[in-house]
Amino acid sequence: MITPGRLADSQQSNGRLILRLLRLTWMFKFAAMRIVLLQLVLLALALSGLGFTGLGIDEIRHHLFPADTEPPGWPLGLSPPDDWSALSVVAFISGLIFAIAAVRFILDRTAQIAKAELVQSIVVHLRARVYDKLQRLSFRFYDDNESGSIINRVTGDVQAVRMFVDGVMIEVLMMALSLVFFLGFMFRIHIGLTLACLATTPALWFLTAYFSKIVKPAYRTNRELFDRAVRVLSENVQGVHVVKGFSRQPQENNKFLEANRAVSDQQRWIFRKVAFFVPLISFLPQVNLLVLLVYGGWLVIDGTIEFGTGLVVFSGLLQQFSAQVGNIAQIANSVQRSLTGAQRVFEVIDAPVEIQSPANPTPLKRAEGAVRFENVTFGYQRTEDPELIDINFEAVPGSTTAILGATGAGKSTLLSLIPRFYDPLIGKVTIDGVNVRQYDVDDLRRNIGIVFQESFLFSHTVAENIAFGHPGATREQVEKAAQIASAHGFITELPEGYDTRLAEAGGNLSGGQRQRLAIARAILLEPPILLLDDPTAAIDPETESEILEAMNNAMQGRTTFVVAHRLSTMRRADQVLVLDKGRIIQRGTHQELMSTGGHYQHAAKLQLADPESKRLLGMEVTES
Amino acid sequence: MSKRNRVILNAEGEVVRRPLDLGIIKRLMTFTRPYAAKRNTLLAIVLVRAIQLPLIAWGIGAIIAGPINERRYDDVVVYTAGLGALMLITAITFRFRQLLAMELGEAVVRDLRNRIFEHLQRMPMQFYDKTRLGRVISRMTSDAEAVRIGVQDVLFVSLVQGGQMLVAAVVMAVYDWVLFLIVLAMAPGLWWISAYFRVRLGDAWREVQESFSRVTSNLAESVTGIRVTQGFVRQDRNTEHFRDLVESHAEYNMRAARLSGVFLPLLELNSQFFIAVLLLTGGYQVLAGGLWATAPAAQFEALVVFFFMVNLFFAPIATIGRQYNQAMTSMAGAERVFKLLDSEAEQLEDPGAIVVPPITGRVEFHDICFEYEPGNPVLHDVSFTAEPGQTFALVGTTGSGKSTVIKLISKFYLPTEGELLIDDYDIRHIQTQPFVEQLGIVLQQNFLFTGTVMDNIRVGKAQATDEEVIEAARKLDCLDLLEALPDGLYTQVGESGGSLSLGQRQLVCFTRAMLADPRILILDEATSSVDTMTEARIQAALAILLKGRTSFVVAHRLSTIRHADQVLVLDHGRIIERGTHTELLVIGGVYANLYRQFIHASNA
Repeated sequence: MITPGRLADSQQSNGRLILRLLRLTWMFKFAAMRIVLLQLVLLALALSGLGFTGLGIDEIRHHLFPADTEPPGWPLGLSPPDDWSALSVVAFISGLIFAIAAVRFILDRTAQIAKAELVQSIVVHLRARVYDKLQRLSFRFYDDNESGSIINRVTGDVQAVRMFVDGVMIEVLMMALSLVFFLGFMFRIHIGLTLACLATTPALWFLTAYFSKIVKPAYRTNRELFDRAVRVLSENVQGVHVVKGFSRQPQENNKFLEANRAVSDQQRWIFRKVAFFVPLISFLPQVNLLVLLVYGGWLVIDGTIEFGTGLVVFSGLLQQFSAQVGNIAQIANSVQRSLTGAQRVFEVIDAPVEIQSPANPTPLKRAEGAVRFENVTFGYQRTEDPELIDINFEAVPGSTTAILGATGAGKSTLLSLIPRFYDPLIGKVTIDGVNVRQYDVDDLRRNIGIVFQESFLFSHTVAENIAFGHPGATREQVEKAAQIASAHGFITELPEGYDTRLAEAGGNLSGGQRQRLAIARAILLEPPILLLDDPTAAIDPETESEILEAMNNAMQGRTTFVVAHRLSTMRRADQVLVLDKGRIIQRGTHQELMSTGGHYQHAAKLQLADPESKRLLGMEVTES
Repeated sequence: MSKRNRVILNAEGEVVRRPLDLGIIKRLMTFTRPYAAKRNTLLAIVLVRAIQLPLIAWGIGAIIAGPINERRYDDVVVYTAGLGALMLITAITFRFRQLLAMELGEAVVRDLRNRIFEHLQRMPMQFYDKTRLGRVISRMTSDAEAVRIGVQDVLFVSLVQGGQMLVAAVVMAVYDWVLFLIVLAMAPGLWWISAYFRVRLGDAWREVQESFSRVTSNLAESVTGIRVTQGFVRQDRNTEHFRDLVESHAEYNMRAARLSGVFLPLLELNSQFFIAVLLLTGGYQVLAGGLWATAPAAQFEALVVFFFMVNLFFAPIATIGRQYNQAMTSMAGAERVFKLLDSEAEQLEDPGAIVVPPITGRVEFHDICFEYEPGNPVLHDVSFTAEPGQTFALVGTTGSGKSTVIKLISKFYLPTEGELLIDDYDIRHIQTQPFVEQLGIVLQQNFLFTGTVMDNIRVGKAQATDEEVIEAARKLDCLDLLEALPDGLYTQVGESGGSLSLGQRQLVCFTRAMLADPRILILDEATSSVDTMTEARIQAALAILLKGRTSFVVAHRLSTIRHADQVLVLDHGRIIERGTHTELLVIGGVYANLYRQFIHASNA
């Protein structure tokens, strides 16, 4: 089933991906070209350094065996003046080698830093872009994708995309150029020798490609097996009460032993492959050296090629050539990884932002707070299985609407249509008589305060968390909001009061304290509309009364929608909506609903204290 | 130099590198003992390989400098054939060197992991109270991996490289010892350079990692808190903040790059520099009579051989340096693993503890005190007696000690003082396992393992058949609810499966306890987050579950408390009131007040 928000289902062709990656590369073309040029110069310098080494050896050899050898040939027809002694020539060559090495050192350093700069600027560019997009994507996107996968797209996948520029484009260019250089250099020495020495290269390519093809999926499988073993461990620790409580230790030990053995067995298979292919792959270039010795040796004795500039240089070239060949597997690997990464990154960048402000929004400074649902039908999956069906109701400014229903009845969904976290499929939601779609989304949401079921707090200070929606708020505003939310008391008792830094997800506060901060956060801007999505759901009953007080204060003078199970809340509400499977099945005040029987009355009775207990407590025994 | 030996801590205060320690090395070696044959073969192979590698380089140089230089073609062919044979043997040696090392590393790590897991099963509850999951997992993952590298690489790679260096040195010294002295003179400089950069680079990369973890934790928060962000229109500010973090991370990366941008080219510069020196001195020796006496032809031969061999002498310097670093990391990993393995295992029973016969379910507390940490008591002189079949409700605010009472009965801990009797047996004198098998426990978290609903219920009784599981659900009158799940009792739950609602999870845990059919039932009721419609079913199931068993309930439901045979009100670790619900209301003390608050919260 393809849904608009889900990522994994939208496949792009490799061709299109490569085109987009090329476009990305084009953005960084100058930096990339600079690196290619630098590396090209470096390559030329390395080759000439090698050439001069051979030349030096030849010079010495020529003077040692003048009868047997030709005078060495200098490049480009240049040669030292005849009156130089042999020693001066060798000293000159040695100086040249050193000078070349020094220049290489400087350029190499420049090139490496330039490359790092390029890499970092691409990564920063991409991360900022993906993150910015993530901030704007609609809730549906977050419903459909696991947070781990979303985080990976900004971290690992972005790196994979960046690899296309520095690991594929630049490398391919460099590889092509350097192969041309190497081959040119080698051909210049001797064409036959070159071909003979490189005869094993295709086999090497084939083996490397084959090896990575069988080993890579095996490593992936191993990763999964290992994850499974770690999961046994982490569940064992998280569920330690169950393990100990039902004395499950023997079974748990077996479970882990088995999972661990599976990892090990599969690992052994990989080892056997690695221990076969790696020695083989490193043996092949050595065969080249043997060919060089027999064939090249003969050519030297024959006088066809020089000893130093021919044979010795050739052996140096062969070594570097093998290194380059190994690079091909690396590049192929990078192509694969960058395509996979690009797929995942572009999915985010392309994901439609479903909720957008209209071109000419109706201005909304401060709403009156009249909210109306007109024939609203809504489904997350846009299929025939809607979450809300034909919802109609109206809340007048300043009134409280309580919503009751079982898990999955659609209570939170109903609330989330008001600030346009989703848009209805059919019908409309209006505020002050205007469809919410006609307002600017930011304006709309600034008029609505929200408290979620389990309120997420950020690892900022208490004050920053309260002022989350309005960072410019003064300390007075923050404290006032905290007071309304009955949070001021405990905040001032924290080590650094309002400047206490919260642990991740507010871990150093109790659930009740977190919810009161969330309420303060919601009312800081004095919103005319307030949404309370069952804020006491995860709270100990002993501490619930604190939050109820905060909620009651917060509701004063605002159009409030509250999802709740507690009768106290229902009783306070101007109207109660009972939801069941997406439909409103009962509506009215608490009094009305208690007298009509049905769902509401049944649910309410479960919560009532028995009259006998109340009597014993000297409490007033009311109707119901 | 002393800087390299320091102990380095990470942001969490854990040791990430420590100096070599003979005790840890010895202990690590005991893990290779079951694989001694493999280990010793590997050692022998490694020594052979240390000779083979320089021999090949020397062979190439010698053939070029000897027969080819002197135009003896027959010798070229013969020697090359010999060299080819040596290369082939070396490749075969390489195969076994790799295979055995990887197998040895894997065997040791596998055993280590099993040992860690088994040890964890014996750890007391205190350990789990204090230890974060992430730590335990790092022992099993990154620390075990560090040990693997230590076992399979550090020693053997260092041996190969060191041996190679030594053999190369001998060959070069034999050819021309004065020239070799020049090579030798450069070694300390190289060692110093690589040590210097290794330390600096290590620090730089650590900073990169730390800045990266700031990026990811901000990211994680942004993703988890996205609903809040959008609800409060904070997108722009968050994006700005994230950009700052990413840029500072990039800056740390650049710092590291600037360092390695000097280091790697410097190594290359060194080898080029040496070639220049070699040419110059060699040339001087051959062409100008030289500083020291040698035959020019032999000198030339030496020059060529040096050209091929000198990298075999220099390269190990950096490699061994890296291995040394790795050794310190492995050492720290091994130390952390051993520390875990050395932590004291559970001592919950006296020596000579008996297997308890089927119990009737009498539970007595006599003046029990308990402290999680010495000097910090959470229970004071708690005494009560629960007769078989009675239901006890424990009431009190957070921190009053009510969960501690049920944890003591579950034998998660032993009382610090006082006597806990089960059917007149002191809990210290009975073996834990057979006793716990007669308990049923349902805790607030309602923890489910990855697997099917069926598997999860079977946790209560490992050998139960499917029919018994179904029967347990039927007895609780919740079979229809479990069968209504997407795949009924075979629905996958936990990380890999879909999630159950809170109410459904609770029912699974109830059924699990029902299947165990225990004499004593421990129940920590979940707080009131189950929706009203499911609540009725849960209350009904609960009543069936409690029936006929001695039950201890940390109660959050009014109905549960009301129906208890005895309510214990705890405050700051003491029982301050006890009696039935009605009795306590009549007294009009703390309980009556608490109950009034309950009513207020739900009815008002």
